[in-house]
Amino acid sequence: MLQALCSRSLQAARLCAPRRAVVVEVVRGRKSRSDPIAKSKEGRIKTPPPVDPVEMVVLKERYEEYQLIISALRLEFKEEVQRKKYEAETGSMAEERARKEAEEHSALMAWNRAENQRMLQLRLQRVQKEKEEVEQKEFEAALEREQKRQEFIKLKEEELLRLQEEAKHFITLENLDQRIEEALDNPKNYNFAIDKEGRVIKQTVLK
Amino acid sequence: MVHLSSLLSKQYHGGHVVIRLALAGHNQANRPFYRIVAAFNKRARDGKYMEQLGTYDPLPNIYNEKLVSLNFDRIKYWIGCGAHTSKPVSKLLGLAGFFPLHPMTVTEAERRRAAALTESSREREEEL
Repeated sequence: MLQALCSRSLQAARLCAPRRAVVVEVVRGRKSRSDPIAKSKEGRIKTPPPVDPVEMVVLKERYEEYQLIISALRLEFKEEVQRKKYEAETGSMAEERARKEAEEHSALMAWNRAENQRMLQLRLQRVQKEKEEVEQKEFEAALEREQKRQEFIKLKEEELLRLQEEAKHFITLENLDQRIEEALDNPKNYNFAIDKEGRVIKQTVLK
Repeated sequence: MVHLSSLLSKQYHGGHVVIRLALAGHNQANRPFYRIVAAFNKRARDGKYMEQLGTYDPLPNIYNEKLVSLNFDRIKYWIGCGAHTSKPVSKLLGLAGFFPLHPMTVTEAERRRAAALTESSREREEEL
């Protein structure tokens, strides 16, 4: 009937368990305000547990004594905590500790600065080297370019010379008649014979 | 008064620190195990605590001992900072000797002894 559930399986139990008039949860107070009193408890009058007066007197004395001792202990512990705090801040060891810490800090800072300097030097050297390399490459590239340009110029000059040479043999308006006469005077025969072995015969029937 | 610096970043209004027992979440049926813990008063019993100050195993072991561990140094610190202790923790500390014996421990023992005496006298009367 009543299942003792822990909070995690509450959801699962709500799904699995059948619907009841009263919600089945083991939480404080099974019933809400509006739920009726059970039949077995209808005429019940709740009375507090009986107190034995003799025991009560003895108990009260014991409690007084106990509370006195406890409050005294509390004050003691408070004082101890405050004393420890005070000593930690302004005690005999505190100054030495502070001094040592300051020394350590300054040493570490100095080491850090030295490291930074070293790294700076390394970095500068590296940057220098890289710059030099870049310059070298640029210089070489410039040389290459120059060389290429020179070669190009040479080629063009040669071509120019060749053209000039050929220009001497060009046919112009002044040469025209002369060349025609020459051509008519010297008929050229371009016919030739060739066989499958590759023997060329330039001599033909024509003149 | 020493200032309580951290109240665990939950915005409570008022409240104080208590040293109490919290169930350690082992999630085993019929096998409880308590941690003695300094926590904020309004927190859940098993919720976030400020510091663990010991343990308490309520089930006796094979030598019929119930084991308790206590960190007296830190308990002194917390009580010095103004922590309250719950009843079971006060009783445990009383039995350990750190606090005086709790009155209810003594009273309970007397009641049980009286009950045992009346039982034995009643048994003897029934025999006769």
